[in-house]
Amino acid sequence: MVSFPSCHAIQEVKEKADLTIALSGNPNTGKSTIFNQITGFNVITANYPGKTVSLNIGNIKYGDLSIGIIDLPGTYAIGAVSDDQWVARRAILEGRPDAVIVVVDATNLKRNLYLVLQFIELGLPVIVALNMVDLASKMGMKIDYKYLSLLLGVPVIPTVANKGKGIKELIKEAIRITQSKEKNSGIDISYGEDIEVAIGVLAEAIERFSSHTLYGLSPRSIAILLLEGDSEFLEAISALNQGDAITKFLQRIKMRIEEKGEPTSIRIIRRRHEVAEFIAGKARTWSEQTVLLSDKIRHYAIYPPTGIPLMLATLLGSFALISYLGGLLSEAINLVWGAYFSPIISWTIHSLISQEIIARVVLWGLDAGINAGLTVGIPYVLTFYIILSIMEDTGYLNSIAFLTDNVMRKFGLHGRAIIPILTGAGCNVPAIMGTRVLSTKRERIIASVLIVLVPCSARIAVIVGAVANIIGWSYAYMILIFEALLIGFVGLSLNKLLKGESSSLIMEVSSFSTPSINTVLKKTWFRFKDFVLVAFPIVTIGSLILGALYETKLLWIISEPLTPIITGFLGLPMVAGLALILGVLRKELALELLVALAIVQYGFSIDNLLTFMTPFQLFIFALVVTIYIPCIATVSVLVKELGLKNAILISAFTIILALMIGGLANKILPFLGW
Amino acid sequence: MGKKLSEIQEEYLELIYRLEEKEGVAKTGRIAQELKVALGTVTNTVANLEKKGFLTHRPYVGIKLTEKGRKIALEILRRHRLSERLLTDVLKIPWSAVHDIACKLEHVINRDVTEAIEKSLEYPQTCPHGNPVPDKDGRILRDSYEPLVNLPVKSKGRVMKIVNEKEDLLKYLATLGLLPGVEIEIEEKAPFGGPILVKVSEARYALGQEISSSIYVKRD
Repeated sequence: MVSFPSCHAIQEVKEKADLTIALSGNPNTGKSTIFNQITGFNVITANYPGKTVSLNIGNIKYGDLSIGIIDLPGTYAIGAVSDDQWVARRAILEGRPDAVIVVVDATNLKRNLYLVLQFIELGLPVIVALNMVDLASKMGMKIDYKYLSLLLGVPVIPTVANKGKGIKELIKEAIRITQSKEKNSGIDISYGEDIEVAIGVLAEAIERFSSHTLYGLSPRSIAILLLEGDSEFLEAISALNQGDAITKFLQRIKMRIEEKGEPTSIRIIRRRHEVAEFIAGKARTWSEQTVLLSDKIRHYAIYPPTGIPLMLATLLGSFALISYLGGLLSEAINLVWGAYFSPIISWTIHSLISQEIIARVVLWGLDAGINAGLTVGIPYVLTFYIILSIMEDTGYLNSIAFLTDNVMRKFGLHGRAIIPILTGAGCNVPAIMGTRVLSTKRERIIASVLIVLVPCSARIAVIVGAVANIIGWSYAYMILIFEALLIGFVGLSLNKLLKGESSSLIMEVSSFSTPSINTVLKKTWFRFKDFVLVAFPIVTIGSLILGALYETKLLWIISEPLTPIITGFLGLPMVAGLALILGVLRKELALELLVALAIVQYGFSIDNLLTFMTPFQLFIFALVVTIYIPCIATVSVLVKELGLKNAILISAFTIILALMIGGLANKILPFLGW
Repeated sequence: MGKKLSEIQEEYLELIYRLEEKEGVAKTGRIAQELKVALGTVTNTVANLEKKGFLTHRPYVGIKLTEKGRKIALEILRRHRLSERLLTDVLKIPWSAVHDIACKLEHVINRDVTEAIEKSLEYPQTCPHGNPVPDKDGRILRDSYEPLVNLPVKSKGRVMKIVNEKEDLLKYLATLGLLPGVEIEIEEKAPFGGPILVKVSEARYALGQEISSSIYVKRD
């Protein structure tokens, strides 16, 4: 028997809950809004090994009932052709939910019904949530949901998810059908004589030769999957006793069907579309068609002459907002921490640990470490995620992906890669996690390298602190522009050097919609949690190690062999080199470290960076800081996402790149008149 | 250098033509797969045909027929498709069996026999599978389909075929409602060869260059 990877979280939720309901639907139908409205903050994210798409699992109380909710990835269909479809189907087959709610976009009924038909065909108890009925009626269409329910043979509940309408009824109906023990009475699709004969014969053979049913699916469902060429079920069938005979028969009968020209799989898909179109046409009547304001806005957001300026303004505006709001928050947290928490922590540790050196090392971790996490992590990453979630939920992000696809393609990526790359400007850690939206390993590697080169908020802080505030803003912009050019150059080169092809963009561009605040905040929170879970512990531990090296003076001994590179090649004082090395642990503190180390080295007369470094040296320092591997948290997430080998390669690459560029700048810039 | 081509070489030229027509490009891997022979054999034969000037082969890119190669391919294809017609229409042999027999016949009948078959069948336009029959001067009814990528903004048409070797991709597009027969409208094009925004029934999709150049459309 072929073994499939399984997901324990689904089994766990099934065991704990009285009922399990799966939530499915096309992307952008308001499915996640419904999920977020019914579940609380107690949501876990589950993964199948080796798959990039994850599931959300939550739990709700309804009366005395405990209901497990499995939020499937948004998909247009359930099959084996892409990760999202595979994960959705696997979770359904394995989790055998008591009911499946399929969220359907009322304004795009025909395409959305396709997925409903597929679920009905698998014999699952389906409830249709007919969402965005308000928009549909604004557009001038009226959907007779009772008739739709009659045609489909399953319950249909109209909802307006972002206003919370119809959600209660939906859950009530889902519970009702799980308790009524009614059999799924959904519509049966007939595929035409030749295919039906094939289905009949195959189903009979499957019934006879398989000792157990596959995931409780009916022989007819399996026969259809086989005729569709579903790779996973083909494999499962060939492992049966008479598997070879069935496979051979399948090939013969498919050839027969395909003599008329079209592949069997396409004919089956076409037939489902026909049925969906028929049902949509019957259940829907049009009064006067009107174009929605949101559709007009979408048009201008995509139409290049207006869309490109709008995009640039939005991106620049967002960054300005993030740095302004983030800066304010950061300062506020710093003040509060310094005034209240820091003294308490310091006092506690000193009273617990009598040895001065150890106490100071612990303080590095618990005081400075947590403070750094709070002042860099929370303010910038949080504001960044709020803005990102809004852009995503309005649908504007897709317009950006459309307009930037062309540029991304030169890097071997497609338009959707712009999202994680932009996220990199907040913090590289969540950005690298975000490369999961890309489908191939090659794309994920290219995107990750580019992300690592995008200056995160911590590095921007160094550029501002060491360059903008001391030498001048024009020099800070020089570094940023150079960085942008470098990213472009590295992207182009990687696309040339790495083997393999990239996938082409296929992306739905849906109408703009008003995001629900609830969903935006929850999304922000879940993303933020991911960041905190990975980055916080590492930053704290990193700070402890750093503190130990610093307090014991081991640092100076370790760095001894690097003197020629730092003072010779880069032309920096040794303290700056130490700050660079320690920056791997805590890049956001590279500047503070520089001052702290300088104080140790030169005594307490240091009041400003310029007392021991020239503006030119500060420029080189900031340049090197921005290019080499961001921080240990980023390295650890690279290991997690791309494997140890790639993580080491990427880290080594950026370190060499940073040293080369820093060294060249040190040698060449003086000739250019600096 | 002999002027007469072997049966195998004729078969190659015909197959390359059909692959170009069906999949946009002919690659050695696909030829090996179709003819069920080793890749090495294909590479040798292709190199041989290239030396004789019937085709050009760029490794990793694909094979292109030269004008000379195309002419022969079309003549063989004409014999093949007319033979199929003869087998089904006159001899009443079922569709499923005619392709293999026609593959043999096409190499033994000459120009005169072919013309005689054509005349007696009253000049059929297509083979039993619906593909056009080239005429005796090597002209073939080219379908007037254009790749989506060439269509201007605001134009409408009907998808006629999607030329791609990846079955999973074809299935994925089909589930989105992008399959032969559907009406399609170009709503927007990103500048400098960026993606294309199309409307298919109520849905809008952004399609990258590679995809949109493999979708062939008959304009309204």
